[in-house]
Amino acid sequence: MATAFKVEPAEPVLSVQGLTTSFRVSGDWHAAVRDVSFDLAHNETLALVGESGCGKSMTALSIMGLVPKPAGRITAGRIMFEGSDLVSLDREAMRRIRGNRISMIFQEPMTSLNPVLTVGFQVAEALRYHRAMGGAEADRAALDLLEQVKIPSAARRFKDYPHQFSGGMRQRVMIAIALACRPQVLLADEPTTALDVTIQAEVLALLAELKQAYGMSMVFITHNLGVVAAIADRVAVMYAGEIVEVAAVRELFRRPRHPYTELLLRSIPRVDRHVSHLETIEGQVPSIAAMPAGCRFAPRCPLREARCDAPPPLAGAAHHVVRCWVRSEGGGHG
Amino acid sequence: MAEILLAVERLKKFFTAKRGFPNPETVTVRALDEISFMVKRGEAFGLVGESGCGKSTAGRSILRLVEPDSGRVTYAGEDILAADAARMRVLRQKMQIVFQDPYASLNPRRMIGKALAEPMLVHGLGTPTEIEERVEALLAEVGLPPDSRWRFPHEFSGGQRQRIGIARALTVGPELVVADEPVSALDVSIQSQILLLLRGLQDKHGLSFIFISHDLGVVRWFCQSIAVMYLGRIVEIGPIPGIFDEPLHPYTQMLRRSSPVPDPEIRIEPARFGGEVPSAVNPPAGCHFHTRCPHATDICRQIYPAWREVAPGRGVACHLHGS
Amino acid sequence: MSRAAAIGRRRGFSHALGELLRAFNTNVTSWIGLGIFLTIVLLAILAPVLAPYDPLEQNIVARLKGPSEQFWFGTDVYGRDILSRLLYGARVSLIIGTTATLIAMVVGSAIGILSGYVGGRVDLAIMQLMDVLMSFPTLIMGLMIVAVLGASMGNLIFAIALTAIAPFARIARAPTIAIKQRDYIEACRALGYSDLRIMAVHILPNVMAEIMVMGSLWLATSIRVEASLSFIGLGLKPPTPSWGGMVREGFEVILDNAWLSIFPSLAILLIIFALNMLGDGLRDAVDPKLRGGE
Repeated sequence: MATAFKVEPAEPVLSVQGLTTSFRVSGDWHAAVRDVSFDLAHNETLALVGESGCGKSMTALSIMGLVPKPAGRITAGRIMFEGSDLVSLDREAMRRIRGNRISMIFQEPMTSLNPVLTVGFQVAEALRYHRAMGGAEADRAALDLLEQVKIPSAARRFKDYPHQFSGGMRQRVMIAIALACRPQVLLADEPTTALDVTIQAEVLALLAELKQAYGMSMVFITHNLGVVAAIADRVAVMYAGEIVEVAAVRELFRRPRHPYTELLLRSIPRVDRHVSHLETIEGQVPSIAAMPAGCRFAPRCPLREARCDAPPPLAGAAHHVVRCWVRSEGGGHG
Repeated sequence: MAEILLAVERLKKFFTAKRGFPNPETVTVRALDEISFMVKRGEAFGLVGESGCGKSTAGRSILRLVEPDSGRVTYAGEDILAADAARMRVLRQKMQIVFQDPYASLNPRRMIGKALAEPMLVHGLGTPTEIEERVEALLAEVGLPPDSRWRFPHEFSGGQRQRIGIARALTVGPELVVADEPVSALDVSIQSQILLLLRGLQDKHGLSFIFISHDLGVVRWFCQSIAVMYLGRIVEIGPIPGIFDEPLHPYTQMLRRSSPVPDPEIRIEPARFGGEVPSAVNPPAGCHFHTRCPHATDICRQIYPAWREVAPGRGVACHLHGS
Repeated sequence: MSRAAAIGRRRGFSHALGELLRAFNTNVTSWIGLGIFLTIVLLAILAPVLAPYDPLEQNIVARLKGPSEQFWFGTDVYGRDILSRLLYGARVSLIIGTTATLIAMVVGSAIGILSGYVGGRVDLAIMQLMDVLMSFPTLIMGLMIVAVLGASMGNLIFAIALTAIAPFARIARAPTIAIKQRDYIEACRALGYSDLRIMAVHILPNVMAEIMVMGSLWLATSIRVEASLSFIGLGLKPPTPSWGGMVREGFEVILDNAWLSIFPSLAILLIIFALNMLGDGLRDAVDPKLRGGE
């Protein structure tokens, strides 16, 4: 993989700085995403990994300007993309970026396509809308895209409706739509979670290939550490709304430093070898309205100490940062 | 050799549905096309395959939650499919089910204490006091606080609900539990909690499991034997280390290679792109897998391969391994 | 523990009811509807105490008197006090309406749940029968039955209940079909529960809310049908006061003495209006789209 370990190229494509997205729960505002910062390099795949409710999807929706209102809103932070701060852009400007410069694909390929429009029309629509292409030109480009995402006999299936496609094929169509305008950044929110493993493997391979071909950067959101290992260059682990660890993919799997990451890795049954002891993490993720004041993982952490009552910063050497008082020792504080 | 607890022979279930407008045509879904396998006492038997392969229908047909079209299911020597209603009520105490979706598997209006006491009341398993005590013991056994009895399902998290579902299955003292994707809807950290709980129950009560899952990693960890299903048929059966270390059927190999591994050094291998995946509505002629199989030959396109026992407890249906 | 235990003692039904009431709480119009309806019920119960005159006592001297201090709502052609007759008439309307609705509710829900749960051909046959029942307008059906069997209170109740069974069956059947596919019903079957138990203990509480909404709306319809039948002379025989009958009696002299018809008409209007407000409120409370997240 191209940029696996190169840290900080000249300029990040996307830079999220101190993003906090809050939700109103019975009258009070609570941060579902708190102080999330990361840079996305050119042609890099960054995996955002974590369990349900950790804020990974909300981070993506914040980038897209799609935080559900009025229950939620971005309360702090900047999202720098192509010289402007996406948080402060008006709706019209955001609409020009969405689906054009930054695209998103979702988990549910069954419901993300309009059932009453042909697949070809839906792919061509993005081009007509953002690129002001004429009908015939857009159709030609759309067909080309469907071939690139390897829909078999794409020309024949151009005028088929979504229900005539299987889940894997629909996800390919979604990818074609997302890539129609050659975006700089693709946000993929659990794009393979609803698919069977053999289909998942094909879609992951396709995404990796298209990323190279298009020179895009990708934020890949998933709960599946196996998928992370397969597709990511760099990984950000999220827990309870915060990033708790960031490292290159090999580094993270070989030397996980946050106790959460470490336990998570040891609690996965593996297909490639026999695991005699399966680790568990006792208890459950705290609710958004009742976050611990200090380290948010402390109540479930086997390494908990007195100092964990204060919130730890994200610290460490640039290539591997961790949000943990106990485990950030040795690494220089950032 | 351990005692055979459950034997399934040539179990078949087709579903028919009318589809299309204005000219509806009747389609037949070949959910189960004569599958056979055996579960030993105390064993966890994995049933794996992708969506639509019929693994859930298999679990439900064995329990007669779905009436199979034909075949035999023998439980401890007794033909289940021939049992009348009264006998079935007794047999139901021996075989239970745990569901995938912990949110849908509990009645939202039923307090946990009542939900757990009800099966014992219905089957007359003890006096009210004994039942109360048993409910308390069950809650402790699955790792829930005693005051859970006074709560409703919506007050629990997904993992806790799954514990309740397991406790409910245990109320009648079963010997065999059909676990239909019991950890698929759960987060990774919760998944391992539930797997350990199930393993503990297996060890402590000598429970046998039919463990239905699409996740090969989970099956490898939990089960001792495994059957791989593809479009309504079993394509390979064998003990756990064997199937994973040396899969014989090309589909098993493909599943094994496609399954993600939490290790960036081992990149998963996508299958050679094989086009649209066929469905059980209209499975391909010959070997159902031939449209996606890298080794397919002419015979694979015409004749469904015969079942072949390659070693004791190890069988495969593939022309590559024919005699 | 004690608080949890107290909450815990709520049973399935009352849990459903509590859920309904919580959502209902915030709805002002339904409270107004409930208030008006309960006031009418109270007035009907207390009629012997409140009524200034005997509703059947004729008074030839005071025929067709307009509203006055002595007779608030005036008197009819026989000199009977209209206010007193209205109060007693409310009893007739409420007894017939409520009994008919309750019967339809119980029978209809049972048919609907059974039909939805069993499914297949039985379901098809039952629902086609219900469609036939439903194709008769309520009033025509009532008319036919009362014309054939005669106008007694029992027959009126039977006639009205019969027309309301089909809608209750439909409203109970739809959620039953959805619920029977849930895993927890399958778990019940796996645990060896009888079908009767599954329907009564596990499905009924889950469709109760919908049935109750329908009940409040059909109560209004039942009262209206009773009034209509009385109006066309198929209600209880005079001199028993009923609102529909009073409108009819007043109708003969409506050009000169309008109040005879106006006051009972207003009473009918008021109770139907109140029940519809109540029913709409309940429906909003039950509608999951309008209900707050769990």
